[in-house]
Amino acid sequence: METIIEALVALFLLIGAAFALVGSIGLAKLPDFFMRLHGPTKATTLGVGGMIVGSVLYFSTRGEGLSLHELLVTLFLFITAPVSAHMLAKAALHLRLRTVERTRGEGALPRGDAE
Amino acid sequence: MLALAIPIAFALMSLALLLNLWRVVRGPDLPDRILALDTLYINSIALLVLFGIHLDTMIYFEVALLIAMMGFVGTVAVAKYLLRGDIIE
Amino acid sequence: MTLSLIIFLPLLGALLPPLFIRLGRTACAWSAALLAGTALAILLYHSPAVFAGETLVFTQPWLPALGLNFSLRLDGLGLLFALLILGIGLLIILYARYYLSEHDPMGRFYGMLLLFMAAMLGIVLSENLLLLLVFWELTSLSSFLLIGYWKHRSDARQGARMALAITGGGGLAMLAGILLLGHITGSYELSVVLASAELIQAHALYPVTLALILLGAFTKSAQFPFHFWLPHAMAAPTPVSAYLHSATMVKAGVFLLARLFPALSGTELWFFLVAGTGTATLLLGAYHALFKHDLKGLLAYSTVSHLGLITLLFGIGTPLAAVAGVFHIINHATFKASLFMAAGIIDHETGTRDMRRLGGLWRFMPHTATLAMVAAASMAGVPLFNGFLSKEMFFAETLHAGWMGEWSWLLPLLATLAALFSVAYSVRFIHDVFFGTGPRDITRKPHEPPRYMKVPVEVLVALCLLVGILPAWTVAPLLAAAAASTVGAELPYYSLAIWHGFNLPLLMSLIALAGGVILYLLRFRLFALHDRIFPLCDAKAWFECGLARTIAVSHQLTAWLENGSLQRYAMLLVASVLIVIGTSLWGTTLTGPVAMGTVDGVTLTGALVLGVSALATVIWHRRRLAALVLLSVVGLVVSVAFVRFSAPDLALTQLSVEMVTILLLMLALYFLPQHSPAESSTARRWRDGLLAAGAGLSVAALAWGVLTRPLETISGYFLEQSKPGGGGSNVVNVILVDFRGFDTLGEITVLAIAAFGIYALLQGLRLPSPTTDGEGRPWAEDRHPLILSAVSRPLLPLALMVSLYILLRGHNLPGGGFIAGLVTAVALILQYVASGVVWTRERLPFDYIKLTASGVLVATLTGVASWWFAHPFLTSTFEYVQLPLLGKFELASAMVFDVGVYLTVVGSTLLILANLGKLTLVSQPHEETK
Repeated sequence: METIIEALVALFLLIGAAFALVGSIGLAKLPDFFMRLHGPTKATTLGVGGMIVGSVLYFSTRGEGLSLHELLVTLFLFITAPVSAHMLAKAALHLRLRTVERTRGEGALPRGDAE
Repeated sequence: MLALAIPIAFALMSLALLLNLWRVVRGPDLPDRILALDTLYINSIALLVLFGIHLDTMIYFEVALLIAMMGFVGTVAVAKYLLRGDIIE
Repeated sequence: MTLSLIIFLPLLGALLPPLFIRLGRTACAWSAALLAGTALAILLYHSPAVFAGETLVFTQPWLPALGLNFSLRLDGLGLLFALLILGIGLLIILYARYYLSEHDPMGRFYGMLLLFMAAMLGIVLSENLLLLLVFWELTSLSSFLLIGYWKHRSDARQGARMALAITGGGGLAMLAGILLLGHITGSYELSVVLASAELIQAHALYPVTLALILLGAFTKSAQFPFHFWLPHAMAAPTPVSAYLHSATMVKAGVFLLARLFPALSGTELWFFLVAGTGTATLLLGAYHALFKHDLKGLLAYSTVSHLGLITLLFGIGTPLAAVAGVFHIINHATFKASLFMAAGIIDHETGTRDMRRLGGLWRFMPHTATLAMVAAASMAGVPLFNGFLSKEMFFAETLHAGWMGEWSWLLPLLATLAALFSVAYSVRFIHDVFFGTGPRDITRKPHEPPRYMKVPVEVLVALCLLVGILPAWTVAPLLAAAAASTVGAELPYYSLAIWHGFNLPLLMSLIALAGGVILYLLRFRLFALHDRIFPLCDAKAWFECGLARTIAVSHQLTAWLENGSLQRYAMLLVASVLIVIGTSLWGTTLTGPVAMGTVDGVTLTGALVLGVSALATVIWHRRRLAALVLLSVVGLVVSVAFVRFSAPDLALTQLSVEMVTILLLMLALYFLPQHSPAESSTARRWRDGLLAAGAGLSVAALAWGVLTRPLETISGYFLEQSKPGGGGSNVVNVILVDFRGFDTLGEITVLAIAAFGIYALLQGLRLPSPTTDGEGRPWAEDRHPLILSAVSRPLLPLALMVSLYILLRGHNLPGGGFIAGLVTAVALILQYVASGVVWTRERLPFDYIKLTASGVLVATLTGVASWWFAHPFLTSTFEYVQLPLLGKFELASAMVFDVGVYLTVVGSTLLILANLGKLTLVSQPHEETK
């Protein structure tokens, strides 16, 4: 495999892993649910995206032709991740979860400090 | 280069998994746990893709695809349960 | 081969009458008669060889490893019985055509009758004893159905149950006896068993074997003390009584005595057991028959008595006694069947069978009366009728019975006494019905029955006369052939003449005749006496009482073992597993010789996630939804672990099963209380905790032990055989659909049955829906969030494409019908979740029941298709085909089988989930979700 391709694959893998980690850190660290929702939905999707791009590059350059079916996973995730996030946000609003003061919005009134 | 990148990526992913686990267990509310579960699903997909490159095989691709599908259905169904109680109505 | 047709024609014929009934009652009767008639013709075609002394044997291995072969044998005894079964069977078919009323389901009657006929023929033609037993049980079952034919009558149901309980119990004993017999002789084939008399009788197990086999024979032939089921079986329609309870089924017991006569008879034990039981039955039956006011009751007890007589004859054990026994089987079948039919005619025309209300019927039906009188005279043993001949032989044999020593006078005396009663009840049957005063209290004016209803009686009565007057010209060859194969050796000289000169048997006959008439004249005084003595002895009450006790005891036992607490079952199961594992593995070394591998960080992380979430699931099991989420984590990590250890098929299966289970749990949780109360005491929690820890540690220790030892698995064989043998490179799938295809077929059948069961249970179920969640918050207003339903719809084709892909490639790469089915089901369920039942049903109008059934059907037919190519069931085949564009393509029949699996899984999953989900829709009017 050409060095440039290999470097690119490695780069994408590291980007992916880093985004996954950042998303997870956000999920773990941020103070209330509505903030936590941002971490995984954005970053993890990018994380998987990075991995998939790495995988497409890797398997397409092995001389067995273009490998694109990984994109199916990405397509699936890109369609569904916003919906999951939307549903979870709806549920959180419905349950009137505690929020910190900085989190504002209809139905998400601050009701004291979250953790 | 890959030989270096893959172990690092594995380490980052493991850390991510542990953080997700912490959120599942810590909560404090059900949406938090469900969100953490959803993140676990997605991180597992990334892990499997990484694993496929590591072993140089595409045989695990369907598992990743299925995790994406099932994770979505599961998350949506539990969220619906929180909203309506009845997931099929 | 044609021998087996004799059995298979009626067996297949059991299906025809229920179909032909649409063409009318006569067509229905003809369809039944045609098959029985063809079978009779085949039998007659074979009969010359049998008369010439041959024994025809046909053998087809069935389960040779168990000694069970489909082997048939036609010898004299079999021929005699088969003739009785088919000949009288044909007459019964004709008779029943006129006996059954418009309201009775005739097709069902003939169907069951032919089923019984086939079973009975199977008994008498079996060469293999295990095969005989199979047919034996089949007669018990089909007679249960026939006795309970009028299922709206409680006496019919009770009688049927009693007959089944007793004959079925006897059948079990006989099974044990026959297994012992096979153990002693080393074969279940009659030709071997019959030739091993010395071996059997010298064996230490002979008494047990004999007792067990006799139990079977005695229960079937209603011998004392099991006789009481027969009178209660009289609740059956009269054609059934005439067929089963005079000519055929009750003769199965004595047939068995005759069949095994060469192997088992001739010992003192045989004599006392068989002759003793026979004598007791003979006397008891004859006595009770006189005191029955019901016509069929009289005939039933008389049958009991005559069966006792035949048993006694076989018990005496001499060849001449066996000849007399066989002869009486013929005679009894002819006169008793005709008497039953006459009783049926009387019942049919007057509406009653009570002899206290009948009488004087001679004026209304002289023809029937004449026929009945001839048959009754034969039953009483009047000279010139066939009953006289065999009774004479019987008397002569009681005089020569051995083993009685000084008591040898007792048997002739008892025989004469029984004959005396038999004369008395025969006279009563005729006099109380056709003469004297009466009839009383009957609603209609009696008259002769339809012409053809009398034909069967006429035929049988004619036989009584012909055999009685001209025995040597009629019955002699058949009797000789049958008796010779019963005895299994040269027959001694015997004479069938009517007149043997003045001798002791004749004197006994005369005493019986005269005494019987006198007894009848004294009957009213005897009835009064009988009523005073016997009300206490009601065998039926005892039986019912015993039955009720048994049921009560088993209820208690069940309640003790199975108290409805799942925790308790789990505790018992886990504890017993612990005990078994603990005791068997105690003291063995834990660690084997294999060196440990290295572990990487990711695996360790996975193990940590798995352990923590599993523990948390247990700890938070009372916070249900949180536990459910944690359970999902467990499922996910297990699937990823399957990938880590190179089992993508398992990972796919685990993921989809996991999701379906989670959905199912959520559907169920909705209806359950939102909070689990804490019910366990501290002691109990400790107990359960210890048990769980013990079980977990044992499994860990086992896994440790296995993994540290070199392991030889069968996977190498499957890996080698997968491609050449099954035509697929995915071993897991090839095993499922090919190597173990039969297992899979069974599993999907069970799945389908379970789904149907759940569907049936959910029908009409009304559950209260909670109006708030566990915290008391009302539910959200939005039933179907717009974004969710809008996005889910385009996802469906995508998901279906994925599942199709997984299905098609399953034979060679991870996937297959089961996984694809679950994926499709989950994708469809998503539509239910997102858009609701009504929306989805409008767009997916499949009938899930039919879908499930078609899946099982496709899988089964794939298996059946291999018969077409003369291969065993479910043999798979594959072919490489060259397709344009796609290139070389492989087609395996197992793929079609996998499609069947797919359809079953989709159908049953949706049937279960959609119907559970539908439970909340009760208030909304909409079409049924099938």
